[in-house]
Parts: sequence; C-alpha cells; structure tokens
Amino acid sequence: MWIQLRVGVAKYGAIAGINLQNQLAYVWDTISRSTHIVVFMFIFTQLWGAVYRLQDVTEINGLTLANTIWYFLMAEVLQIGQIRHDTQITEEIKSGAIAYTLGKPYNYLGYHFSNGMGETIVKMGLLWLLGSPIALAFAGWPDVRLAHLPAIAVVYLLAIVVNFCIISLIGLMAFLIEDTFSLRLIYQKIVFILGGLLIPLDFLPEGLQRVAGLLPFQLTTYAPARLFVGFEWPMFWRQLQMGAIWLAILLGLLSLQYRWAARRLAINGG
Amino acid sequence: MPDLAVAVEGLAKTFVVRHKAPGLKGSLRAIVRPSRRDVEAVREVSFAIQPGEVVGLIGPNGAGKSTTIKMLTGILHPTRGDATVLGLVPWEDRRRLAYHIGSVFGQKPQLWYHLPPEDTFRLFARIYELDQDAYRRRRAELVELFEIEPLLDVPVRKLSLGQRMRCEVVASLLHRPRVLFLDEPTIGLDVVAKEKIRQAIQDMNAEEGTTIFLTSHDAGDIEKVCRRVIIINHGRIIFDDRTAVLKRQYLTRKIVDVRFHEALTGPLEIPGVHVIKQGTFGAKLEFDSQEREVQSVIQDVMAFASCQDINISDPPMEEIIRDIYQA
Repeated sequence: MWIQLRVGVAKYGAIAGINLQNQLAYVWDTISRSTHIVVFMFIFTQLWGAVYRLQDVTEINGLTLANTIWYFLMAEVLQIGQIRHDTQITEEIKSGAIAYTLGKPYNYLGYHFSNGMGETIVKMGLLWLLGSPIALAFAGWPDVRLAHLPAIAVVYLLAIVVNFCIISLIGLMAFLIEDTFSLRLIYQKIVFILGGLLIPLDFLPEGLQRVAGLLPFQLTTYAPARLFVGFEWPMFWRQLQMGAIWLAILLGLLSLQYRWAARRLAINGG
Repeated sequence: MPDLAVAVEGLAKTFVVRHKAPGLKGSLRAIVRPSRRDVEAVREVSFAIQPGEVVGLIGPNGAGKSTTIKMLTGILHPTRGDATVLGLVPWEDRRRLAYHIGSVFGQKPQLWYHLPPEDTFRLFARIYELDQDAYRRRRAELVELFEIEPLLDVPVRKLSLGQRMRCEVVASLLHRPRVLFLDEPTIGLDVVAKEKIRQAIQDMNAEEGTTIFLTSHDAGDIEKVCRRVIIINHGRIIFDDRTAVLKRQYLTRKIVDVRFHEALTGPLEIPGVHVIKQGTFGAKLEFDSQEREVQSVIQDVMAFASCQDINISDPPMEEIIRDIYQA
C-alpha cells in the first residue's frame, strides 16, 4: 500500500511539476496576467473605505475595514487563482487531444487536479505577492495568529478541492454538449453572491446567510477568507464537517457523471 | 498470455450529428426543431492481429480509421460489437491496458509545447511508473533509433513538424508498449521526415517484436512499413490481405508530375504513358509500373525535354478504393 501511495505521489506530483515548469517558462506572461489584482484591490479598498466612512462605523457585523480588505484579497486570490480545467476539457474534446489525456494510466480527473495545481500554485503565489502590498498599505498587517495558519491552510486546500469538483462537474458536461462556458458563467455568478466573493456572507440578510451556509459555494471562498480574518475553532470544525459532507456528495456525483459521460464521448475529427 | 494482440468482432460506432439548414432561417429552425442524424462512423468491422504483426488500416478521410483506433485504445465506447487488445476490453480496462499500449495521433500533440521533449519524457516515465534506470536505458535506445539527441533540450515550439513527430513517437514508446497504435503518424511530413519515421517503426518492430497498427491515407506508409493492409471505407472493411497483394493488384499505377525548363512545342507522347494534363511548362502523366519500369519512363521524359523537377507519386487513396470497388 505504501509503495502504491509513493508511486501515486510521484506520478501526480510529476504532472503538477511539469505544469509548474510550463508556467515558469514564461514567467513574465504569467506575472502580467496576474497584475489586475492590483487594480481590483485598489478599487475594493476605495469602495469599502467609502462604505465604512459613510456609515460612520468601525465594524460591520464583526468585520472591521481592515478585516474586509484582507477578506477580499483572500477571496479574490482563491477565485482568480482557482483550477479552471473546464475550458481545458472543452478544448481537449474540440481538438481531439483527449485521445492522449484520456489514454494514459492515471485517473483522468486526478490528472486534471494535479495539472491544475501546478498552475494554481504559481498563480495564487503571484496574486498574493501583487495584492498583499495594496492590502498592507490600506489595512496594515492582517489580524491572524501564526498558530492558526495550518488550520487556515487546511480550509484553503478544501476550498480548492471543492471548487475543483464543481468545475469538474461543469467540465465533464463537455463530453455531451459543445461548450460549457455558459454553465461556468452561472457558477461564477452564484459564487459572487452565495460564495461570498462580492460581499462577505456576514453582510447578507440573516435568512440568506443561513441558506448560503448550507451550500458548497461558501466553502470555495467565504470559509477560508473569513477564517483568515477572524479565526474561531468552532467555525473551523463546522466548515470541515460541511466540507466532508459536500466532498462526499460531489465526488459521488462526479463518479456517476464520469461513467455516464465517458460512454457518450464523441471526439471531433473521428 | 492472449494468443491475439488485437481481436475485433462486429465493432460499430454511431455518432449523433446535429444538422442545420444554411442561413439565419436554418439557424432559427434548428432552435425550434433541432434535427439530428445518426452517422455510422464504423460499421461492424471484424479482424484479428497476431502479436508482432504490422498492419495498416487505410482509407480516405472520414472512413472510420481514427474512430476504430480510439475504440481500440479505450477512448471511445463502441455502439455495438466486441474487441480485445492483449486480452483486455479497451473501454472497460482502459487504465490497465494503457501500461501495455502506446498511441501516436499525428495531428495532435502530446509533448508540452513550451518545454523541451526531455521534460515530457521524464513526465511519462513517472506516469508509466518506470524505474529510473530502466527509463534511462530505454531513452538512450530510442534517442539513437530516432536520431533526436540534438532536439532533447529544444522547446517543442522550436522544432519542425518532422522533428516533433519523431519526438512524439519516442514519447509513446518509452514504456515499451506491446502494441503501438499510430494514427496518421506521417501526416504533413516531408519525404525525408516520413522516411525516418517509417524506418524507425520498421526497426522497432524487427528488434522488439512490437505489434503495430497504423492508420494512414498515404499509400506509401503502407507499402514501406506494413506487411498486411486493411482498407476501410465508409466504416466498412473492403480489403484485408497482404500488402504484396494490394501492391500487385492496385498500387501499380504511378503519377508523374514534371516541370520543364523550356516551353513544350508539341504534345508529349511516350509509349505506355497516359498524359492526364499538359501545360506549357509541365505535364501530369500516368503509367502502370507493371507494364513500364519507372526508370525507363523517367528516361523517356528527360529525353523529351530538359526537366526542372520531377515528382513520382501513388494515386490518391480515393482512386485506389475506387479501383478496388470496380474490381
């Protein structure tokens, strides 16, 4: 079993590694693609600064302006830097390259996860590097304790995995329909509101907060960002439980969908 | 160990294709009343391949060659029929089978475009779970066989198509596949690059006994590499025999394209040679290589006028298939 695990880590690690190398082959392109975080962060700081000023408050539902700014950096990094393999699956099917990606001795979605992680590590790292000076300049150091960072990292990873599962459900639809972009757009809009990307869920009406708290979308953005700016162990355990439940549901759905879709795959050009 | 490398029985694949009449009216009608049509890409084909055989599957574009390969590599599920490759059902045991087969799809890249081929080779060594010593030995053998040593550290985007294809084939052979599926491996290559790929495939089959299943619409690939040929058209097998039989019966016609230095003053008349087309500075000729030797035809053409360029080719696959149907 240990040997199998070692072989698996080496295999999927190598897949992540090659995409990491690929990102570094054009490091300036990769950096330039991430610079928009600076503009985003500047707009957010101005916008939320004005909100707090006009309301003449130092806190909104437990979040200070500094909390809100760091929350947005965390949320934006997670969403912009996420694995987006749905477009890649669509392209693979359109170009016929899926004949290679599907024909190798690995788990097809495992391949996309590892491949995506290779890119995500670089993207998220750059987004942090470029976005955090803006947050630092306008909000000072984040109110986070070093001892909480490992727990936050776990929820951060959970966010990446849950998002990967949802994007996979969308991507595998490409086995059946021509283009999955419309589905991705719908997902993005849901994450905007129910995931806490546009505004922290704490600012939503209480009823909507309760509904959003039960859905998987908040796990992809709100949970890690909120824990980063105000860590509480009960919230951490609750998110972990929610994550476990939703991962079980999403992985079950993915497994069913993959088996169903693989039988119906039609590749352009034979 | 299975007796057959590949066994196919009544294999069929039907795709559902959406249709739309031309123009805006057609687009609107397609929204209200979408029309779909079944297209039979492969129609109940059956054949068997012995271990170590080199078999060519040829046919015009859209004949069903690639679809057949994709079913045999487990990418596509068939609509009907059975197939086993090395005793495994490809679409049910795809991952297990993948360790023992290799595939090259000529029109699709598997090498990482911005990285040197060496990086993809190392990745594949991990994916196929090769131990490092075995990988280094195998890599050295293939680098020599395919003459790619100078290309190993050059980013793939800087390679010519012929160089890239040699590296693509090497990538598919690192794990010593027992069956190699090559889908149009020479498409778009120049004569020299084609020859290198063909020679390397032949050497590999001779030295390692790898079973090779090759699709192409280039009759030259089949003549030079395959000992047996299966011709498929509109999803049906219309010929399955030794390549020697195909050559004797159907690949005897040769096409000659010739360009002259000076303008022709009269009609080109050479015994046993049919003039398909004649222009001021060039001509397209056809002859039967069983009736006249290639060398003597070329001598006659050169004697007629000073030549700038001569190209000898086989008739297009569509014409060979037409001849088979007529026969």
